Amino acid sequence: MYYRIIRNDISKSKLITLTTMIFVAAAAMLVSLAVILVIHLSGAIDTLMTRAQTPHFLQMHTGEIDTARLAEFAEQNDHVDDYQVLEFLNMDGARIILGDNSLTTNIQDNGFSIQSEKFDYLLDLDGNIIHPSAGELYVPISYMKDNTTKVGDKAVISGKALTVSGFLRDSQMNSTLSFSKRFLVSEQDYAEIKAHGNTEYLIEFRLKELSNLGAFETAYASAGLEANGPTVTYPLFKMINALSDGMMIGVILLISVLVVVIALLCIRFTLLAKIEDDYREIGVMKAIGLRVSDIKKIYLAKYSVLAGVGCVLGFGLSLLFKGMLLGNIRLYMGESPHASLAAVLGIIGILFVFLVIMAYVNGVLRRFRNISPAEAIRYGISQEKTFGAKRLNLSGNRLLNTNVFLGVKDVLARKKLYATMLTVLIISTFIMIVPQNLHNTISSKGFIQYMGVGDADMRLDLQQTDRISEKADEIAQTISGDNAISKFAVLATKTFQSKKEDGSEERLKIELGDHSVFPVKYSEGRAPAAEDEIALSALNASELGKQVGDFITLVMEGKDTDVKISGIYSDITNGGKTAKAVFNDASADAMWYVIFAELSDPSLIDSKVSEYADRFAEAKVSDIDEYIKQTFGPTISSVEKASYTAIAVALVISVLITLLFMKMLVAKDKHSISVMKAFGFTSSDIQTQYISRAVLVLMIGIVLGTLLANTLGELLAGAVIASFGASTFHFVVHPLAAYLLSPLLMIGSVLIATIIGTSGAGHLKLSEHIKE
Amino acid sequence: MKKIIMGDQIFKAFGEGEEKRNVLGGVSACIHEGEFVAVMGPSGSGKSTLMYALSGTDGIDRGTVVVDGKDLSGIGESELSDLRRTKMGFVFQQPTMLKHLNILDNIILPSMRGNRKNVALITGKARSLMKRVGIFELEKRDITQVSGGQLQRAGICRALMNSPKIIFGDEPTGSLDSQSAQEIMDLFSEINAEGTAVMLVTHDAKVAAQTERIMFMRDGAIVSELKLPKYDGRELDGRIERITDKMRESGI
Repeated sequence: MYYRIIRNDISKSKLITLTTMIFVAAAAMLVSLAVILVIHLSGAIDTLMTRAQTPHFLQMHTGEIDTARLAEFAEQNDHVDDYQVLEFLNMDGARIILGDNSLTTNIQDNGFSIQSEKFDYLLDLDGNIIHPSAGELYVPISYMKDNTTKVGDKAVISGKALTVSGFLRDSQMNSTLSFSKRFLVSEQDYAEIKAHGNTEYLIEFRLKELSNLGAFETAYASAGLEANGPTVTYPLFKMINALSDGMMIGVILLISVLVVVIALLCIRFTLLAKIEDDYREIGVMKAIGLRVSDIKKIYLAKYSVLAGVGCVLGFGLSLLFKGMLLGNIRLYMGESPHASLAAVLGIIGILFVFLVIMAYVNGVLRRFRNISPAEAIRYGISQEKTFGAKRLNLSGNRLLNTNVFLGVKDVLARKKLYATMLTVLIISTFIMIVPQNLHNTISSKGFIQYMGVGDADMRLDLQQTDRISEKADEIAQTISGDNAISKFAVLATKTFQSKKEDGSEERLKIELGDHSVFPVKYSEGRAPAAEDEIALSALNASELGKQVGDFITLVMEGKDTDVKISGIYSDITNGGKTAKAVFNDASADAMWYVIFAELSDPSLIDSKVSEYADRFAEAKVSDIDEYIKQTFGPTISSVEKASYTAIAVALVISVLITLLFMKMLVAKDKHSISVMKAFGFTSSDIQTQYISRAVLVLMIGIVLGTLLANTLGELLAGAVIASFGASTFHFVVHPLAAYLLSPLLMIGSVLIATIIGTSGAGHLKLSEHIKE
Repeated sequence: MKKIIMGDQIFKAFGEGEEKRNVLGGVSACIHEGEFVAVMGPSGSGKSTLMYALSGTDGIDRGTVVVDGKDLSGIGESELSDLRRTKMGFVFQQPTMLKHLNILDNIILPSMRGNRKNVALITGKARSLMKRVGIFELEKRDITQVSGGQLQRAGICRALMNSPKIIFGDEPTGSLDSQSAQEIMDLFSEINAEGTAVMLVTHDAKVAAQTERIMFMRDGAIVSELKLPKYDGRELDGRIERITDKMRESGI
């Protein structure tokens, strides 16, 4: 019997069944994809980091190094399993030529290494440890991804000719978000090029138990060992590796939640309409003594078939599309060993979607209990309360055209029904505007201020050089005499010991100088202005457990000095752990200098960048726009793609749902349409009424969706941005696109869908429907 | 007397292929100005279909229908709508009201089509019609808050709003108790007496007996006709007897 009922029902409402099934399938596909991707990503990262034997603790260091003292520390510390010091030969991008491309404008710290002996191996694309022969060069995988070079290309490193023999996976520095890139050469070639670069040291430790990392970090810091450079730990490596694909998975999960909601709304709407159609029959079934559970079964049977088929279809599609999305994970991290587990968990994912749908259908059907058989049989319609609609009378209408009035009145009288369409339109507006605003925000020039970088035109980095302070002064003098430069700031980073409450000491890198010239965005408080003030990066503030207004104790010139925290800002540079202050301290040496400059004529940036690069060979000079492009370029372009996709998805959803909704409404309203037609209303009158309904719902949807996008959406996007290290941020809105173009696109597509969906409304056979 | 509606050789079938069923097989019928006509016949004989064909609410396969001098086959949808709105009124068996509008709004609906009208004038007319049929106090009520008889009176008010030349009634008393049914018939007689033609489709000989011409249908054809003098409230039983005799004679 169920088979017959289901078959009849589906054949009577093909479009509705199909649309609902499409949404169920899309929801199942996305959930399954997200699960499969999570399993692959975590599996691939684990495999990569296990094979490469990524260090648990890495201290980068420039300057003198006492390896004997480090070895002794490693020997004596119980947590240490293994220890090594690797060299990283930092080389200016201009000295690296791969094929036809030079890395001159590349902002990454490119450097050369030889293969490690104990751990932290550089792997080939099959996951094997590479042993390069003389003349061979292995290039970081990201340069394969951006087509900088290919296998077989000639490479010239500081005049030394090598051949690109392959690409390497570096479990530490794979991601574009990691600012260093390691090239691999043979020991012989390394020796030859060593004189052309600066040697940095990677002091690396593997621990017996990763859980002892915290204790080890404290021990390393208190031992006062080499620490002139950033410190990175295993969990951070893992996070950086996971970040870009993790964000994609996050977006897929977010979209899948929205699509599940839309699928449920679709079901709710079709089910409510069906219940209304069957109102009298349900009343009769109840009157003749059928149990509510028996009646429910008939409806549940149909939806279990629909959801089942949709879920299986969705799973199949997810298997089809997973290859496309796994490409990046496979390239950067290799295969996951849990491929079969991923499929199994994918099935569990779609099973979950199925169960959610069935539970929801069951919930909607609960209203059967409230149907009074007598009322249902007598009136054939539910005696729904229509609050708000009653006050609106045609006889009192002096303002609106009758058709518009009837449209508005219908929406008010059947709010529950239109709520479904409204919700979908709100969601569509939301997913149309949020990625667009996010893209606008991160591609705006001011955005780097959220990332701990001031909004300047040109940036000079001065590191690892002799007489660094003198060089910085020289540059500053040149700049101040340069008429093309309107303003500049010299910021020197020095290390200070800060005292924790428990008496232990920790190193704090503080950037000293005038922070008001090129301010960053402060999530709380403001820039330091007085000598006894300091601003902390969000990461430092949370690690030290400090708020704005708190004090921290610094050791300056041998004395404990309390400084007040004036503000907290977001930072992604230097591992995110930085601080800013304005005081002077001659006792500590500067680790590095950053000089920011703004030009009076921004079109001169290119020529100024090359002028200063030529003049000060030891400084790395970059155009800030270039810096943004290279650091966030891939992220900005993927968010841009996502925002266009989101617009397309939102429009498709709106069109499909509106079409479905209007077709169903027309089917439901056959009787009233016939009545109106009998009394002389034309087809275009009827269509005007439907368009009025759609426009009213659409307007409310766009307004609410835009409001939500700028409140909840900003919070959500803020959470995404927070994963980059920023803590608070506000959307940079392109008003024309967000408040005019997007609504217009939405209005256009919804209106077209309404017109198509209601085109048959006026062409009913009156005699067939008027008697119903 | 002038013919207000004229149907000639009307053919109409429902369904397709093997399921095709001829409902009207070349029917010709006309209604004169101010005439009171009934159509009788067993279920499926085609009486409602004839009414919908003559009023232009349903298309026909072949033949001609002329309403107030206009051939329906030669006019577009909008003109047909205008014709229905200005020349015709409809009363159906079931309360064909829009459920989200109150009684008054349902009544004024046909007059409110198009752009702004003189709402006060329209509402005033509706109220006077409601007063006349005895439902004046119900104007603010929802359609589910009144009885079937009251709803049918509201339906008649709606049909009269645009002062039509003819009112079509499809079993207008079919779902009412006998007292309400008689009250409705009295209303139709009054309206007819004022010059509006009325065409009723009915099973009920008592209803048909109050009209002046009855067309009897069987298997998609008008098989016979009976003319009666104008009903003046007397000799109803005699008129009913004449009708039943005629039906027997026609094999209905």
